[in-house]
Amino acid sequence: MQRILVIDDAATVRLYHRSILEAAGYAVDEAINGVEGLEKALRAPFDLYLVDVNMPKLDGYGFLQELRKTELPQAPAIMVSTEAARSDLERAYVAGANFYLIKPVKPDALLTDVRLLLGAPRP
Amino acid sequence: MAFVKPPVAQPHRDDQCLAPRDFTDLVAELSYPNPAARRWAARDLAAYPEASLALMACLKEESHPSVREALLTSLTLIGDEVAVAGLVDCLRSEQVGLRNEAVEVMKELPEKVAPIMENLLADENPDVRIFAVNILESLRHPLVERWLIDVIEREPHVNVCGTAVDLLCEVGTPAAREALTRLEARFPDEPYIQFAAELALKRLGED
Repeated sequence: MQRILVIDDAATVRLYHRSILEAAGYAVDEAINGVEGLEKALRAPFDLYLVDVNMPKLDGYGFLQELRKTELPQAPAIMVSTEAARSDLERAYVAGANFYLIKPVKPDALLTDVRLLLGAPRP
Repeated sequence: MAFVKPPVAQPHRDDQCLAPRDFTDLVAELSYPNPAARRWAARDLAAYPEASLALMACLKEESHPSVREALLTSLTLIGDEVAVAGLVDCLRSEQVGLRNEAVEVMKELPEKVAPIMENLLADENPDVRIFAVNILESLRHPLVERWLIDVIEREPHVNVCGTAVDLLCEVGTPAAREALTRLEARFPDEPYIQFAAELALKRLGED
C-alpha cells in the first residue's frame, strides 16, 4: 500500500486530509511540522508528501529543500497553502513541489493530484 | 627600533559577553561578521528597553539561526509597543520563517497583544487575520474563545474561519456550539468547514 505523509501544524487539517486519503485506500502518517516530517521520512521514506507551507520550526519550503538534499528516494510532493499568489506557486515548485493546492482543499482535487502522482491505490 | 607585533585578528571568544559594553557598543556588534558576537549582542540588548527598533531591524536581515533565536528571545523579554508593532509588520513579510517566528513571539506577549487583537482580526489582509488566529492558539488570555467565536460568526474568508475552527476544536467550550452550527450553514459547499465544524461539535459534545 502506498504511504503518504501529511505534514501540517493544524490537527484538524491533518485529520481531514487523512480521512480523505485513507478512504481512498492509501496509508497515511502525520507530522506536525517540517522537522518531524524529515525525522519520519528519514526513518521510513514515504511514497508522497502532502506539505503545508506555514508551519513553525521548519516550514513547507524548508522541508522540501531539506528532503531534496537527502539520499532518500525523491518521492513526489504536493504543497498546500492558503496563499494563492503566483509567486507562492513558483516558490513551491522551486523548492521541489510537484503540485500546489490552495486551501481549503476539495477531496476530489486532492485525490486527482495524488492519483496522477502515485496511480491508483495498491493493496 | 622596537619590534612592534602586528595586530592579529582574534576569534570572538564565547566569554566576550563578560566585557562591559554599553548600548551603542551592543547595537554596533549586531553588525559584526562573527555570529557569536552578534548572538551575544542580541542577548545582552534584552537589558535595554530602547533596543526594540535595533533588534527588529536586525531580525529582518539576520540569517544565522542562533542569532535569530537570541534576537527573538530579547524581543520577547522587552515586549514593548515598539517590539509588538515590529512583529505585526513581520506578519506581512514574504518570508515564511519570519512570519512564523513573529507568531511564536506574539503568543508569549498576551498583555501587549490583547489590545491589538481585534484590529489584527479585522486586518484587510486575510493572511494577517489567519496569523492572528494562529497567535490565539496559545495566547493565555480570557477572551480567546470569544474572539474565535466572533471570527466564525462574522469572518467572510473561508480559510480564516477554518483556522479558527481548528483552534476551537482544542479550546472551545459549549459556548461555541451555536456559532459552529451557523458556520456550517454559512459554508454548505465547503467540505473542510463541514468536517472541521462537525469535529468541533463532536468534541464539545464529549466534554
